[in-house]
Amino acid sequence: MLTTSELAVILPLAIPAAAACLLPIASLDRDQETVKWIRGSMFAIALFALAGSFLYVTRLWGTRMQPSFGQVHLDFLAQLAAIFILVTAALAVLQLWDHLHQEGWVKGETLSLLMFSVTGMLVFTATTNLIVIFLGLELLSVPLYALTATVRQRADALEGGMKYFITGAVASACFLMGSVLLYGMTGSFEIIEIGRKLSTHPDTLALAGAALVLVGFLFKVSGVPFHQWTPDAYEASPHPIAGFMSVATKGAAFIVLLRMFPAGLSASPDMALKFKAALAIAAALTMIVGNLTALAQSSVKRMLAYSSISHAGYLLLGLVAGTQDAYVGMLYYLFAYMAMNMGAFGLLTALGLVGDRCGFEHLRGLGWKRPGLGIAATLCMFSLAGIPPTGGFYGKYMIFKELIQTGHVGLAVLGVLASLVSVYFYLRVVVALFLEKPTEAAEREAAERPEVVAPYAGATVLVCGFLVVAIGFAQTLMVDGFALRAIKDSLHFMP
Amino acid sequence: MLTNWINTHLLSILVFAPVLWGAFLLCFPERQAPLVKLLALLGALGIFAVAVFQMFHLTPDPTGVFLAEHHPWFSVVGLPVDYHVALDGLNFWLVLLTVFIVPLTLLGTWNSLKQRAGAAIALFLMLEGAILGALLSQDLLLFYLFWEAMLPPMYFLIGIWGGADRKYAANKFLLFTLAGSLLWLVALLYIASKAGSFAPVLMTQAALALPFKTQCTLFLAFALAFAIKVPLFPLHTWLPDAHTEAPTAGSVILAGVLLKLGGYGLLRFAVPIFPAAALHYAQPLAILSVIAIVYGALVAMVQSDIKKLVAYSSVSHMGFVVLGVASMTVVGTQGAIFQMLNHGISTGALFLLVGMLYDRAHTRQIADFGGVAKRMPIFTFFFLVVTLSSIGLPLTNGFVGEFLILNGTYTSGFGWGRAIAIVATLGVLLGAVYLLWMVKRVFWGPENPREDSGTAHLHSDLNAREIAVMIPIVVLIFWMGLHHRTFTAHSEAPVIKLLSEAKAPAARPAPLAHAPEAAPHRQPEEAH
Repeated sequence: MLTTSELAVILPLAIPAAAACLLPIASLDRDQETVKWIRGSMFAIALFALAGSFLYVTRLWGTRMQPSFGQVHLDFLAQLAAIFILVTAALAVLQLWDHLHQEGWVKGETLSLLMFSVTGMLVFTATTNLIVIFLGLELLSVPLYALTATVRQRADALEGGMKYFITGAVASACFLMGSVLLYGMTGSFEIIEIGRKLSTHPDTLALAGAALVLVGFLFKVSGVPFHQWTPDAYEASPHPIAGFMSVATKGAAFIVLLRMFPAGLSASPDMALKFKAALAIAAALTMIVGNLTALAQSSVKRMLAYSSISHAGYLLLGLVAGTQDAYVGMLYYLFAYMAMNMGAFGLLTALGLVGDRCGFEHLRGLGWKRPGLGIAATLCMFSLAGIPPTGGFYGKYMIFKELIQTGHVGLAVLGVLASLVSVYFYLRVVVALFLEKPTEAAEREAAERPEVVAPYAGATVLVCGFLVVAIGFAQTLMVDGFALRAIKDSLHFMP
Repeated sequence: MLTNWINTHLLSILVFAPVLWGAFLLCFPERQAPLVKLLALLGALGIFAVAVFQMFHLTPDPTGVFLAEHHPWFSVVGLPVDYHVALDGLNFWLVLLTVFIVPLTLLGTWNSLKQRAGAAIALFLMLEGAILGALLSQDLLLFYLFWEAMLPPMYFLIGIWGGADRKYAANKFLLFTLAGSLLWLVALLYIASKAGSFAPVLMTQAALALPFKTQCTLFLAFALAFAIKVPLFPLHTWLPDAHTEAPTAGSVILAGVLLKLGGYGLLRFAVPIFPAAALHYAQPLAILSVIAIVYGALVAMVQSDIKKLVAYSSVSHMGFVVLGVASMTVVGTQGAIFQMLNHGISTGALFLLVGMLYDRAHTRQIADFGGVAKRMPIFTFFFLVVTLSSIGLPLTNGFVGEFLILNGTYTSGFGWGRAIAIVATLGVLLGAVYLLWMVKRVFWGPENPREDSGTAHLHSDLNAREIAVMIPIVVLIFWMGLHHRTFTAHSEAPVIKLLSEAKAPAARPAPLAHAPEAAPHRQPEEAH
């Protein structure tokens, strides 16, 4: 029989998993009379599952307990990660309701896959065992491959899904091969144990294994040069799913990297030097390529895809700095990033720009028509660009400060120059929303179309706009109350 | 009770009341624009009244601070950041200038904005709050936050309500300023992490311990951000575009106060924190500012657009500010502060007047005018007074500022001081040439014969509202010209303190440790 403590670990994972199993049943209903109710209850079930799991984890956070069950440890970092993932998923579900109705493709399996992916992420972030990490990785990735192609009436959806599947499979293979090599050379799947062995016996084969694991992660966070799948996959998927992938997947991968990198891959100074150099190069390339390519995009969604690549670069810098405060900054950054990126993707849904109508020209003048949305989206864009007093600024501030304190001034300069470039393309959204007038063709087209009704997506954008500012002003609470506790108590490597 | 609370929280009220009031006005629908205008004007006047009535009651404490608010704010991951605002001799008159210019601008551009006037005015008030916040901040991160907070409102003012090329101008403005301030942020974080704080005093001490080369790099990063804002040649190219495209209110606040933040930051933070580097780079700064003075004047001379001409005259006049700071003398620095006030009033007034002309004629081309004096005598009178003050005619404010700066530069004791002062005087002369030539072509002579000319559209002279705006400005122009002590007395003690500390031997790098670098400020050729 399960003990209470073990149950405490299982429940937050089991609730979304149970919802995931329940949801496909709902889609069996073909009756035109009841379909509306069935759809509504599908979304309600998904939201209830996420809310239940969220409430459970927050209660757990409040009790300061860190239960574990086998290899799954629901420690503070895992709890914070769960909060992050569940909130992101809830925002995505709300946006999906509007998005899928606009595309005319409301199917039960979409939500079910999303719930499975959430479960995978919860497992992924709550363990230090490489095999369980791999299980989580697959459980989160495979549903996402399908989700990318979920609107399968569009040809490019299938293309993007296929691309994502193949590259993702390569990433998984790299990760698995690396784990096997590490296990072969150290005799353990536990990250801390591996780190200890590697620091005493730095073996070339083991280092190769560690490098392969790192490559797997760079795929998942879309770091250059493993980023090529990102724009196509995002473009193929529905906007909320793209937002979910860019925020939750990246965030979960970074949180696992926070477990792996300091404890396992840079346990000895020599290894730390090597891997940090590699990460520094990857981070620099990610920032440069991400930002410069984003400049040239004509579609808002592709721009956001490249922007999400560039944000992976800033986050990687936190690992390069490698201090406790830098990791705290990364966690803070992830939360700010969640609000601003979900807001940015949500804007497209809220304005009814689905399918291939994602160009900058489609946004023209819409800020004046929907001022609330426009202002919230502007706040999100300013936050993405790192302009104070939004959360995006403080996130960069914390990471760059640690980078400078650890002597990486050159990287910090590169980072601020990269974010200077990024200001231009984020502003293009603001320019289109407020500074430009809609073209005549667009106005004619808009008059013919039915009025865009996207109350839930609109509400999420407003919430995100509020959150980016709130996270900016509540930086002390976020850091001292949440991020610091998660980092301090979960990572035993820090002196 | 209430007055007591206002007394102690005056500075926070000055900063946040405009921001909150602006945010409140943003909630009104577009058709309520007249009401929004009225409420905004009342708000701005209220802030001005509170500032005037409260600030003159204050007496400075021994350190020269009139009023301060100091609370720890946040200390995420290590470095403590304080909410520390203070009113002292250096920012006293700049704060007053800001709260003075805002209501005047609102009244002066009452009917200029046709579309979405309410939103523009709300942004304008928010901008006022951000500027006041930056002027009052004593903690460098707080200063940085307010410094950046000035950008979005100005960006939207140019980008939404600007002229034909507004998108380009707005983007250029934002990217130029951000380029400077982001690099400055890196330098700021570097020195802050050495000092363990964002307080300038601790930073000064931390800077002393750094190698001279590092100090110089950091100073350059600071100076770059401020020089872009001033703007100093060759970083000035955003300014003419921004000015030409911005609506009148935007131009006035941009010239009137926003640019001042550059000179103020240089004086308040860059020089005191890195005194040795400031001395080292005094010559290049002075040379660049002289180039700005002469080049700005020469380019202004060939402009065909009145507003663009005034914009280039801004480059020229703000060059004097940097020159005054670079002279590193009390007289020159006092002159720089005085010149900032001058420029705010004279150039701000010029932009207002050009705006009034544009509202009537819908053109700003000099060639479209001629003989305006006959149609608008009152306007011509005010324009001439402001122009003469901008030229620096004795008895007006412009003369005092330029004289102090030239005097300070000439007597600075630097080898280059005299030569540069002489060249800069040429700039004053050129100022007379381009401004008077413009006045001649626009106001005097026969009326422009073309039927669609600008002059033909001038049917009314200034109305009571516009005269009411101009009168306080003219009064100030002569007050500042005739009795400059009112305006320089406050800043004298802090400037003396600042410069004596900057030039004290302790502030220079130890000669033994940095023998090769210690000498160069006497042999500046090595700097290049």
